[in-house]
Amino acid sequence: MKMLRLRGETEDASTEASQAAWARFLHEVGAPLSEQARTLGEIGALFARTLTELGSVRHRGPEVAHAIVQIGIGSLPIIVLSTVFAGLVVTNEIAWHMDLALHTVSMIPGITGQFILRELGIAIPALLLVSKVGASITAEVGTMRVTEQIDALKLLGIDPVRYLVVPRFVASLLSSACLTLIAISVTLVCALSVAVLRYNFSGLEYLNALRQYIGFTDLLCALTKGVTFGAIIPIVSCAYGFRCQGGAEGVGSATTNSVVTSTIAVILLDFLLTYAFTLLN
Amino acid sequence: MSIAFWEVTKNFGPKRILDNVSFDVATGEILFILGKSGMGKSVTLKHIVGVLKPDSGAIIVDGMNVTKLDEDGLAEIRRRCGMVFQHPALLDSLTVYQNVSFGLRTPQFARTLRRTLSEEEIRARAIEKLALVHLGPELLERRPQELSYGMQKRVSLARTLAPEPRYLLFDEPTTGLDPVTTNAVNDLILELSRKLKVTSIVVSHDMACALKVADRILVLDQARILAWGTVPEIKRSQEPLIRDFLSETLALLPPEER
Repeated sequence: MKMLRLRGETEDASTEASQAAWARFLHEVGAPLSEQARTLGEIGALFARTLTELGSVRHRGPEVAHAIVQIGIGSLPIIVLSTVFAGLVVTNEIAWHMDLALHTVSMIPGITGQFILRELGIAIPALLLVSKVGASITAEVGTMRVTEQIDALKLLGIDPVRYLVVPRFVASLLSSACLTLIAISVTLVCALSVAVLRYNFSGLEYLNALRQYIGFTDLLCALTKGVTFGAIIPIVSCAYGFRCQGGAEGVGSATTNSVVTSTIAVILLDFLLTYAFTLLN
Repeated sequence: MSIAFWEVTKNFGPKRILDNVSFDVATGEILFILGKSGMGKSVTLKHIVGVLKPDSGAIIVDGMNVTKLDEDGLAEIRRRCGMVFQHPALLDSLTVYQNVSFGLRTPQFARTLRRTLSEEEIRARAIEKLALVHLGPELLERRPQELSYGMQKRVSLARTLAPEPRYLLFDEPTTGLDPVTTNAVNDLILELSRKLKVTSIVVSHDMACALKVADRILVLDQARILAWGTVPEIKRSQEPLIRDFLSETLALLPPEER
Protein backbone atom coordinates (compact mmCIF):
# COMPACT_ATOMS: atom_id res chain seq x y z
CA MET A 1 0.00 0.00 0.00
CA LYS A 2 2.79 2.38 0.97
CA MET A 3 4.76 1.44 -2.16
CA LEU A 4 1.71 2.06 -4.33
CA ARG A 5 1.23 5.52 -2.79
CA LEU A 6 4.90 6.34 -3.32
CA ARG A 7 4.68 5.28 -6.96
CA GLY A 8 1.55 7.46 -7.40
CA GLU A 9 3.27 10.48 -5.81
CA THR A 10 6.28 10.05 -8.10
CA GLU A 11 4.00 9.90 -11.15
CA ASP A 12 2.16 13.05 -9.95
CA ALA A 13 5.43 14.88 -9.46
CA SER A 14 6.63 13.77 -12.89
CA THR A 15 3.36 14.93 -14.54
CA GLU A 16 3.60 18.30 -12.77
CA ALA A 17 7.21 18.75 -13.90
CA SER A 18 6.24 17.84 -17.45
CA GLN A 19 3.31 20.29 -17.38
CA ALA A 20 5.58 23.01 -16.00
CA ALA A 21 8.12 22.35 -18.75
CA TRP A 22 5.36 22.57 -21.38
CA ALA A 23 4.08 25.80 -19.85
CA ARG A 24 7.62 27.23 -19.88
CA PHE A 25 8.12 26.12 -23.49
CA LEU A 26 4.79 27.60 -24.58
CA HIS A 27 5.60 30.84 -22.78
CA GLU A 28 9.05 31.04 -24.38
CA VAL A 29 7.61 30.41 -27.83
CA GLY A 30 4.35 32.28 -27.30
CA ALA A 31 5.69 35.50 -25.79
CA PRO A 32 7.85 36.45 -28.81
CA LEU A 33 5.06 35.37 -31.17
CA SER A 34 2.48 37.51 -29.39
CA GLU A 35 4.97 40.39 -29.40
CA GLN A 36 5.46 39.95 -33.16
CA ALA A 37 1.68 39.86 -33.65
CA ARG A 38 1.35 43.08 -31.64
CA THR A 39 4.09 44.71 -33.75
CA LEU A 40 2.35 43.68 -36.97
CA GLY A 41 -0.90 45.08 -35.60
CA GLU A 42 0.81 48.40 -34.81
CA ILE A 43 2.36 48.53 -38.29
CA GLY A 44 -1.05 47.84 -39.87
CA ALA A 45 -2.73 50.48 -37.70
CA LEU A 46 -0.05 53.06 -38.55
CA PHE A 47 -0.41 52.27 -42.27
CA ALA A 48 -4.19 52.73 -42.10
CA ARG A 49 -3.82 55.94 -40.07
CA THR A 50 -1.25 57.31 -42.55
CA LEU A 51 -3.60 56.65 -45.47
CA THR A 52 -6.44 58.48 -43.72
CA GLU A 53 -4.14 61.45 -42.96
CA LEU A 54 -2.74 61.69 -46.51
CA GLY A 55 -4.79 64.84 -47.17
CA SER A 56 -2.72 66.72 -44.57
CA VAL A 57 0.32 66.49 -46.85
CA ARG A 58 -0.68 69.69 -48.68
CA HIS A 59 0.23 71.65 -45.51
CA ARG A 60 3.55 69.85 -45.17
CA GLY A 61 5.35 70.92 -48.35
CA PRO A 62 8.68 71.82 -46.68
CA GLU A 63 8.75 68.55 -44.69
CA VAL A 64 8.04 66.50 -47.85
CA ALA A 65 10.76 68.36 -49.76
CA HIS A 66 13.21 67.77 -46.90
CA ALA A 67 12.31 64.06 -46.82
CA ILE A 68 12.71 63.73 -50.62
CA VAL A 69 16.21 65.19 -50.32
CA GLN A 70 17.00 62.73 -47.49
CA ILE A 71 15.39 59.65 -49.02
CA GLY A 72 15.66 60.16 -52.77
CA ILE A 73 18.63 62.39 -53.50
CA GLY A 74 20.58 61.13 -50.50
CA SER A 75 20.24 57.51 -51.63
CA LEU A 76 20.91 58.11 -55.33
CA PRO A 77 24.74 57.78 -55.33
CA ILE A 78 24.81 54.50 -53.38
CA ILE A 79 21.98 53.02 -55.49
CA VAL A 80 23.63 53.99 -58.78
CA LEU A 81 26.99 52.62 -57.61
CA SER A 82 25.47 49.34 -56.42
CA THR A 83 23.32 48.80 -59.50
CA VAL A 84 26.26 49.51 -61.84
CA PHE A 85 28.21 46.64 -60.32
CA ALA A 86 25.14 44.42 -59.97
CA GLY A 87 24.41 44.94 -63.71
CA LEU A 88 27.99 44.09 -64.68
CA VAL A 89 28.12 40.99 -62.47
CA VAL A 90 24.71 39.61 -63.45
CA THR A 91 25.22 40.08 -67.19
CA ASN A 92 28.61 38.38 -67.06
CA GLU A 93 27.22 35.51 -64.97
CA ILE A 94 24.18 34.96 -67.20
CA ALA A 95 26.28 35.09 -70.37
CA TRP A 96 28.90 32.71 -68.97
CA HIS A 97 26.28 30.16 -67.86
CA MET A 98 24.39 30.48 -71.14
CA ASP A 99 27.56 29.91 -73.11
CA LEU A 100 28.47 26.93 -70.91
CA ALA A 101 25.06 25.24 -71.05
CA LEU A 102 23.59 26.31 -74.42
CA HIS A 103 26.77 27.29 -76.33
CA THR A 104 25.11 30.55 -77.35
CA VAL A 105 24.82 34.04 -75.88
CA SER A 106 22.10 35.24 -78.23
CA MET A 107 19.51 35.45 -75.46
CA ILE A 108 21.53 37.78 -73.21
CA PRO A 109 19.32 40.83 -73.94
CA GLY A 110 16.07 38.98 -73.23
CA ILE A 111 17.11 37.24 -70.03
CA THR A 112 19.08 40.12 -68.53
CA GLY A 113 16.34 42.57 -69.53
CA GLN A 114 13.60 40.51 -67.90
CA PHE A 115 15.68 39.85 -64.78
CA ILE A 116 16.71 43.48 -64.39
CA LEU A 117 13.24 44.88 -65.00
CA ARG A 118 11.36 42.39 -62.84
CA GLU A 119 13.83 41.81 -60.03
CA LEU A 120 17.36 43.18 -59.88
CA GLY A 121 16.62 46.82 -60.64
CA ILE A 122 13.93 46.88 -57.95
CA ALA A 123 15.18 44.61 -55.17
CA ILE A 124 18.61 46.25 -54.88
CA PRO A 125 17.29 49.81 -54.44
CA ALA A 126 14.62 48.54 -52.03
CA LEU A 127 17.10 46.69 -49.81
CA LEU A 128 19.47 49.66 -49.91
CA LEU A 129 16.59 51.95 -48.92
CA VAL A 130 15.79 49.63 -46.00
CA SER A 131 19.34 49.73 -44.67
CA LYS A 132 20.00 53.41 -45.34
CA VAL A 133 16.67 55.24 -45.07
CA GLY A 134 14.71 52.79 -42.89
CA ALA A 135 17.45 52.62 -40.26
CA SER A 136 17.82 56.40 -40.30
CA ILE A 137 14.06 56.98 -39.89
CA THR A 138 13.77 54.53 -36.97
CA ALA A 139 16.81 56.02 -35.24
CA GLU A 140 15.48 59.56 -35.70
CA VAL A 141 11.90 58.84 -34.60
CA GLY A 142 13.14 56.55 -31.80
CA THR A 143 15.43 59.27 -30.46
CA MET A 144 12.56 61.73 -30.64
CA ARG A 145 10.47 59.24 -28.68
CA VAL A 146 12.98 58.63 -25.88
CA THR A 147 13.86 62.32 -25.56
CA GLU A 148 10.14 63.19 -25.27
CA GLN A 149 10.11 65.25 -28.50
CA ILE A 150 7.06 63.29 -29.67
CA ASP A 151 5.23 64.04 -26.42
CA ALA A 152 6.22 67.70 -26.87
CA LEU A 153 4.74 67.67 -30.39
CA LYS A 154 1.44 66.29 -29.05
CA LEU A 155 1.32 68.95 -26.35
CA LEU A 156 1.98 71.69 -28.90
CA GLY A 157 -1.08 70.46 -30.80
CA ILE A 158 0.80 68.68 -33.59
CA ASP A 159 -0.22 65.15 -34.58
CA PRO A 160 3.04 63.12 -34.79
CA VAL A 161 1.63 60.94 -37.60
CA ARG A 162 0.85 64.01 -39.72
CA TYR A 163 4.14 65.72 -38.89
CA LEU A 164 6.55 62.77 -38.99
CA VAL A 165 5.01 59.87 -40.92
CA VAL A 166 2.92 61.37 -43.74
CA PRO A 167 5.73 63.52 -45.25
CA ARG A 168 8.17 60.59 -45.12
CA PHE A 169 5.57 58.24 -46.59
CA VAL A 170 4.82 60.52 -49.55
CA ALA A 171 8.51 61.31 -50.10
CA SER A 172 9.38 57.61 -49.98
CA LEU A 173 6.65 56.72 -52.52
CA LEU A 174 7.84 59.37 -54.99
CA SER A 175 11.54 58.73 -54.40
CA SER A 176 11.15 54.99 -54.64
CA ALA A 177 9.35 55.18 -58.00
CA CYS A 178 12.05 57.47 -59.39
CA LEU A 179 14.92 55.47 -57.89
CA THR A 180 13.48 52.25 -59.34
CA LEU A 181 13.37 53.75 -62.84
CA ILE A 182 16.88 55.17 -62.46
CA ALA A 183 18.24 51.86 -61.11
CA ILE A 184 16.66 49.90 -63.96
CA SER A 185 18.06 52.30 -66.57
CA VAL A 186 21.56 52.20 -65.06
CA THR A 187 21.54 48.40 -64.80
CA LEU A 188 20.30 48.01 -68.38
CA VAL A 189 23.04 50.35 -69.65
CA CYS A 190 25.62 48.23 -67.78
CA ALA A 191 24.16 45.02 -69.24
CA LEU A 192 24.26 46.58 -72.71
CA SER A 193 27.89 47.62 -72.16
CA VAL A 194 28.90 44.08 -71.18
CA ALA A 195 27.02 42.63 -74.15
CA VAL A 196 28.66 45.08 -76.58
CA LEU A 197 32.19 45.07 -75.16
CA ARG A 198 32.52 41.41 -74.28
CA TYR A 199 30.04 39.43 -76.36
CA ASN A 200 30.19 41.36 -79.65
CA PHE A 201 26.60 42.61 -79.74
CA SER A 202 25.95 45.93 -81.46
CA GLY A 203 24.01 48.46 -79.42
CA LEU A 204 21.09 48.42 -81.86
CA GLU A 205 21.05 44.64 -81.94
CA TYR A 206 20.85 44.52 -78.12
CA LEU A 207 18.05 47.11 -77.97
CA ASN A 208 16.02 45.39 -80.69
CA ALA A 209 16.29 42.04 -78.90
CA LEU A 210 15.42 43.72 -75.61
CA ARG A 211 12.27 45.20 -77.17
CA GLN A 212 11.11 41.74 -78.18
CA TYR A 213 11.39 40.34 -74.66
CA ILE A 214 10.19 43.11 -72.39
CA GLY A 215 6.89 44.93 -72.47
CA PHE A 216 4.51 47.18 -70.61
CA THR A 217 3.63 44.49 -68.02
CA ASP A 218 7.28 44.25 -67.00
CA LEU A 219 7.46 48.00 -66.49
CA LEU A 220 4.18 47.91 -64.56
CA CYS A 221 5.58 45.08 -62.41
CA ALA A 222 8.73 47.13 -61.71
CA LEU A 223 6.83 50.26 -60.75
CA THR A 224 4.27 48.38 -58.64
CA LYS A 225 7.03 46.68 -56.70
CA GLY A 226 9.03 49.90 -56.33
CA VAL A 227 6.06 51.89 -55.03
CA THR A 228 4.97 49.06 -52.69
CA PHE A 229 8.45 48.83 -51.16
CA GLY A 230 8.56 52.62 -50.96
CA ALA A 231 5.28 52.54 -49.00
CA ILE A 232 6.20 49.81 -46.55
CA ILE A 233 9.71 51.00 -45.57
CA PRO A 234 8.78 54.33 -43.86
CA ILE A 235 5.73 52.78 -42.16
CA VAL A 236 7.69 49.91 -40.60
CA SER A 237 10.54 52.27 -39.68
CA CYS A 238 8.26 54.85 -38.04
CA ALA A 239 6.26 52.14 -36.21
CA TYR A 240 9.45 50.82 -34.61
CA GLY A 241 10.55 54.38 -33.81
CA PHE A 242 7.23 55.15 -32.08
CA ARG A 243 7.43 52.04 -29.86
CA CYS A 244 11.06 52.67 -28.92
CA GLN A 245 11.76 52.63 -25.17
CA GLY A 246 14.74 53.26 -22.93
CA GLY A 247 17.83 55.16 -24.01
CA ALA A 248 20.52 54.55 -26.63
CA GLU A 249 20.17 50.78 -26.26
CA GLY A 250 16.43 51.00 -26.98
CA VAL A 251 17.07 53.09 -30.11
CA GLY A 252 19.72 50.59 -31.29
CA SER A 253 17.44 47.64 -30.70
CA ALA A 254 14.47 49.33 -32.43
CA THR A 255 16.67 50.17 -35.43
CA THR A 256 17.92 46.58 -35.76
CA ASN A 257 14.39 45.15 -35.47
CA SER A 258 13.08 47.69 -37.97
CA VAL A 259 15.75 46.78 -40.58
CA VAL A 260 15.12 43.04 -40.09
CA THR A 261 11.33 43.41 -40.36
CA SER A 262 11.53 45.73 -43.39
CA THR A 263 13.95 43.36 -45.16
CA ILE A 264 11.65 40.39 -44.56
CA ALA A 265 8.64 42.47 -45.65
CA VAL A 266 10.40 43.51 -48.89
CA ILE A 267 11.39 39.91 -49.70
CA LEU A 268 7.93 38.56 -48.88
CA LEU A 269 6.10 41.25 -50.86
CA ASP A 270 8.57 40.74 -53.72
CA PHE A 271 7.60 37.06 -53.83
CA LEU A 272 3.87 37.79 -53.67
CA LEU A 273 4.01 40.48 -56.38
CA THR A 274 6.24 38.34 -58.62
CA TYR A 275 3.73 35.50 -58.25
CA ALA A 276 0.81 37.84 -58.98
CA PHE A 277 2.46 39.24 -62.11
CA THR A 278 3.42 35.74 -63.28
CA LEU A 279 -0.27 34.84 -63.10
CA LEU A 280 -1.12 38.07 -64.92
CA ASN A 281 1.25 37.17 -67.74
CA MET B 1 -10.26 73.61 -7.94
CA SER B 2 -8.54 73.40 -11.32
CA ILE B 3 -6.84 70.01 -11.53
CA ALA B 4 -7.88 66.94 -9.55
CA PHE B 5 -6.78 63.30 -9.43
CA TRP B 6 -9.42 60.89 -8.20
CA GLU B 7 -8.32 57.39 -7.16
CA VAL B 8 -5.92 57.05 -10.09
CA THR B 9 -4.18 53.71 -10.54
CA LYS B 10 -1.59 52.99 -13.23
CA ASN B 11 0.45 49.87 -13.90
CA PHE B 12 3.29 49.35 -16.35
CA GLY B 13 3.20 45.59 -16.90
CA PRO B 14 3.40 43.93 -13.49
CA LYS B 15 4.74 47.08 -11.81
CA ARG B 16 2.25 49.38 -10.06
CA ILE B 17 3.29 53.01 -10.61
CA LEU B 18 0.31 54.84 -9.09
CA ASP B 19 -1.97 53.18 -6.54
CA ASN B 20 -5.26 54.90 -5.82
CA VAL B 21 -3.74 58.39 -5.90
CA SER B 22 -6.06 61.35 -5.19
CA PHE B 23 -5.17 65.03 -4.82
CA ASP B 24 -6.17 68.42 -6.21
CA VAL B 25 -4.53 71.68 -7.17
CA ALA B 26 -6.25 75.05 -6.78
CA THR B 27 -6.08 77.90 -9.30
CA GLY B 28 -2.85 79.86 -8.98
CA GLU B 29 -1.35 77.30 -6.63
CA ILE B 30 2.18 75.89 -6.92
CA LEU B 31 2.25 72.21 -6.06
CA PHE B 32 5.59 70.43 -5.81
CA ILE B 33 5.58 66.64 -6.28
CA LEU B 34 8.59 65.09 -4.58
CA GLY B 35 9.79 61.53 -4.35
CA LYS B 36 12.59 59.18 -5.22
CA SER B 37 13.27 58.20 -8.85
CA GLY B 38 10.78 55.79 -10.39
CA MET B 39 7.97 56.66 -7.97
CA GLY B 40 5.58 57.88 -10.67
CA LYS B 41 6.13 61.63 -10.48
CA SER B 42 6.57 62.19 -14.24
CA VAL B 43 3.83 59.63 -14.94
CA THR B 44 1.48 61.77 -12.83
CA LEU B 45 2.17 64.83 -15.02
CA LYS B 46 1.70 62.89 -18.27
CA HIS B 47 -1.74 61.75 -17.08
CA ILE B 48 -2.89 65.36 -16.77
CA VAL B 49 -2.32 66.06 -20.48
CA GLY B 50 -3.61 62.67 -21.62
CA VAL B 51 -0.24 61.40 -22.91
CA LEU B 52 -0.81 58.44 -20.56
CA LYS B 53 -4.17 56.98 -19.60
CA PRO B 54 -4.83 55.54 -16.13
CA ASP B 55 -5.94 51.94 -15.63
CA SER B 56 -8.65 53.27 -13.30
CA GLY B 57 -9.69 56.54 -11.72
CA ALA B 58 -10.29 59.98 -13.17
CA ILE B 59 -8.28 63.12 -13.85
CA ILE B 60 -10.34 66.28 -13.92
CA VAL B 61 -9.02 69.48 -15.55
CA ASP B 62 -11.37 72.47 -15.49
CA GLY B 63 -14.31 70.14 -14.94
CA MET B 64 -13.41 67.86 -17.88
CA ASN B 65 -12.53 64.22 -17.26
CA VAL B 66 -9.31 63.79 -19.28
CA THR B 67 -9.72 60.01 -19.39
CA LYS B 68 -13.01 60.30 -21.30
CA LEU B 69 -11.97 62.93 -23.86
CA ASP B 70 -11.55 62.31 -27.59
CA GLU B 71 -8.63 63.78 -29.58
CA ASP B 72 -10.34 67.19 -29.93
CA GLY B 73 -11.01 67.31 -26.20
CA LEU B 74 -7.42 66.35 -25.45
CA ALA B 75 -6.20 69.06 -27.84
CA GLU B 76 -8.18 71.58 -25.78
CA ILE B 77 -6.64 70.30 -22.51
CA ARG B 78 -3.17 70.39 -24.06
CA ARG B 79 -3.75 73.97 -25.23
CA ARG B 80 -4.47 74.97 -21.63
CA CYS B 81 -1.46 73.09 -20.23
CA GLY B 82 2.16 73.80 -21.01
CA MET B 83 4.64 71.11 -20.08
CA VAL B 84 8.38 71.45 -19.55
CA PHE B 85 9.90 68.00 -20.02
CA GLN B 86 12.75 66.30 -18.20
CA HIS B 87 14.72 66.45 -21.48
CA PRO B 88 14.74 69.73 -23.40
CA ALA B 89 12.69 67.89 -26.12
CA LEU B 90 13.54 70.54 -28.72
CA LEU B 91 13.09 69.60 -32.37
CA ASP B 92 16.65 69.19 -33.67
CA SER B 93 15.81 70.07 -37.26
CA LEU B 94 14.43 73.49 -36.30
CA THR B 95 16.15 76.68 -35.09
CA VAL B 96 15.59 78.16 -31.63
CA TYR B 97 13.14 80.65 -33.15
CA GLN B 98 11.21 77.93 -34.97
CA ASN B 99 11.10 75.84 -31.78
CA VAL B 100 9.87 78.69 -29.55
CA SER B 101 7.31 79.83 -32.12
CA PHE B 102 6.16 76.27 -32.99
CA GLY B 103 3.08 76.32 -30.76
CA LEU B 104 2.08 79.79 -31.99
CA ARG B 105 1.60 78.58 -35.56
CA THR B 106 -0.78 75.69 -34.84
CA PRO B 107 -4.47 75.83 -35.89
CA GLN B 108 -5.50 75.24 -32.24
CA PHE B 109 -3.64 78.36 -31.11
CA ALA B 110 -5.17 80.42 -33.93
CA ARG B 111 -8.64 79.17 -32.87
CA THR B 112 -8.00 80.21 -29.27
CA LEU B 113 -6.82 83.64 -30.31
CA ARG B 114 -9.52 83.84 -33.02
CA ARG B 115 -6.85 85.10 -35.43
CA THR B 116 -3.44 84.15 -36.79
CA LEU B 117 -0.47 86.04 -35.37
CA SER B 118 1.63 87.97 -37.86
CA GLU B 119 5.30 87.01 -38.27
CA GLU B 120 6.32 90.22 -36.42
CA GLU B 121 4.05 89.38 -33.48
CA ILE B 122 5.38 85.82 -33.36
CA ARG B 123 8.97 87.08 -33.41
CA ALA B 124 8.27 89.66 -30.69
CA ARG B 125 6.65 87.02 -28.49
CA ALA B 126 9.52 84.57 -29.04
CA ILE B 127 12.06 87.24 -28.04
CA GLU B 128 9.95 88.18 -24.99
CA LYS B 129 9.73 84.57 -23.76
CA LEU B 130 13.44 83.98 -24.34
CA ALA B 131 14.18 87.10 -22.29
CA LEU B 132 12.06 85.65 -19.45
CA VAL B 133 14.46 82.72 -19.25
CA HIS B 134 17.53 84.98 -19.56
CA LEU B 135 18.34 84.24 -23.20
CA GLY B 136 18.99 86.91 -25.84
CA PRO B 137 17.68 87.27 -29.41
CA GLU B 138 21.13 86.43 -30.81
CA LEU B 139 20.27 82.76 -30.24
CA LEU B 140 17.17 82.83 -32.46
CA GLU B 141 18.81 81.37 -35.55
CA ARG B 142 20.94 78.80 -33.71
CA ARG B 143 20.10 75.09 -33.74
CA PRO B 144 19.51 73.25 -30.43
CA GLN B 145 22.66 71.12 -30.86
CA GLU B 146 24.75 74.33 -30.88
CA LEU B 147 23.54 75.21 -27.35
CA SER B 148 24.58 73.87 -23.95
CA TYR B 149 22.17 71.53 -22.14
CA GLY B 150 21.18 74.29 -19.72
CA MET B 151 20.42 76.69 -22.59
CA GLN B 152 18.39 74.01 -24.35
CA LYS B 153 16.29 73.56 -21.20
CA ARG B 154 15.68 77.29 -21.03
CA VAL B 155 14.67 77.39 -24.72
CA SER B 156 12.30 74.52 -23.96
CA LEU B 157 10.81 76.57 -21.10
CA ALA B 158 10.43 79.58 -23.42
CA ARG B 159 8.64 77.36 -25.96
CA THR B 160 6.23 76.20 -23.27
CA LEU B 161 5.56 79.77 -22.13
CA ALA B 162 5.02 81.14 -25.66
CA PRO B 163 1.32 80.17 -26.04
CA GLU B 164 0.72 81.49 -22.48
CA PRO B 165 -0.91 78.39 -21.00
CA ARG B 166 -3.19 78.42 -17.97
CA TYR B 167 -1.39 75.52 -16.30
CA LEU B 168 2.32 74.83 -16.26
CA LEU B 169 3.61 71.34 -15.63
CA PHE B 170 7.33 71.17 -14.90
CA ASP B 171 9.12 67.82 -15.02
CA GLU B 172 12.36 68.46 -13.12
CA PRO B 173 12.78 71.92 -14.65
CA THR B 174 16.08 72.78 -12.97
CA THR B 175 17.99 69.53 -13.53
CA GLY B 176 21.23 70.34 -15.33
CA LEU B 177 20.94 74.08 -14.74
CA ASP B 178 23.48 76.27 -12.95
CA PRO B 179 22.45 77.79 -9.57
CA VAL B 180 21.77 81.24 -11.05
CA THR B 181 19.42 79.89 -13.72
CA THR B 182 17.86 77.52 -11.19
CA ASN B 183 16.99 80.52 -9.03
CA ALA B 184 15.72 82.40 -12.09
CA VAL B 185 13.43 79.46 -13.02
CA ASN B 186 12.14 79.24 -9.43
CA ASP B 187 11.50 82.99 -9.39
CA LEU B 188 9.75 82.69 -12.74
CA ILE B 189 7.43 79.95 -11.42
CA LEU B 190 6.60 82.19 -8.45
CA GLU B 191 6.09 85.24 -10.64
CA LEU B 192 3.80 83.45 -13.09
CA SER B 193 1.75 82.12 -10.23
CA ARG B 194 1.49 85.40 -8.31
CA LYS B 195 1.03 87.85 -11.20
CA LEU B 196 -0.80 85.81 -13.82
CA LYS B 197 -2.49 83.24 -11.55
CA VAL B 198 -0.88 80.44 -13.58
CA THR B 199 -1.28 77.12 -11.78
CA SER B 200 1.97 75.14 -11.61
CA ILE B 201 2.76 71.54 -10.80
CA VAL B 202 6.47 70.94 -10.39
CA VAL B 203 8.02 67.48 -10.26
CA SER B 204 11.37 67.72 -8.56
CA HIS B 205 13.95 66.13 -6.29
CA ASP B 206 14.93 69.52 -4.97
CA MET B 207 13.47 70.01 -1.47
CA ALA B 208 15.20 73.42 -1.12
CA CYS B 209 13.32 74.71 -4.21
CA ALA B 210 10.09 73.19 -2.93
CA LEU B 211 10.43 74.88 0.47
CA LYS B 212 11.13 78.19 -1.22
CA VAL B 213 8.51 78.14 -3.98
CA ALA B 214 5.72 75.66 -3.20
CA ASP B 215 2.31 76.41 -1.74
CA ARG B 216 1.81 72.72 -1.10
CA ILE B 217 4.03 69.67 -1.36
CA LEU B 218 3.00 66.15 -2.25
CA VAL B 219 5.40 63.28 -1.56
CA LEU B 220 5.00 60.04 -3.55
CA ASP B 221 6.48 56.77 -2.35
CA GLN B 222 5.78 53.15 -3.33
CA ALA B 223 3.07 54.30 -5.78
CA ARG B 224 1.09 56.03 -2.99
CA ILE B 225 0.88 59.50 -1.47
CA LEU B 226 3.13 59.51 1.57
CA ALA B 227 2.36 63.10 2.55
CA TRP B 228 0.47 66.06 1.13
CA GLY B 229 0.29 69.45 2.76
CA THR B 230 1.56 72.99 3.09
CA VAL B 231 5.26 73.69 3.61
CA PRO B 232 4.95 74.01 7.44
CA GLU B 233 2.93 70.77 7.56
CA ILE B 234 5.57 68.92 5.55
CA LYS B 235 8.33 70.36 7.72
CA ARG B 236 6.58 68.92 10.78
CA SER B 237 6.17 65.45 9.21
CA GLN B 238 7.83 62.58 11.04
CA GLU B 239 7.88 60.22 8.02
CA PRO B 240 11.47 58.88 7.69
CA LEU B 241 11.65 59.55 3.92
CA ILE B 242 10.52 63.15 4.38
CA ARG B 243 12.93 63.62 7.31
CA ASP B 244 15.70 62.33 4.98
CA PHE B 245 14.67 64.81 2.27
CA LEU B 246 14.46 67.62 4.82
CA SER B 247 17.53 66.94 6.92
CA GLU B 248 20.11 67.85 4.29
CA THR B 249 18.10 70.83 3.03
CA LEU B 250 17.34 72.34 6.43
CA ALA B 251 20.97 72.07 7.50
CA LEU B 252 21.91 74.42 4.66
CA LEU B 253 19.29 77.04 5.58
CA PRO B 254 19.84 79.84 8.14
CA PRO B 255 18.22 78.99 11.53
CA GLU B 256 15.33 81.48 11.10
CA GLU B 257 14.23 79.80 7.83
CA ARG B 258 14.28 76.22 9.14
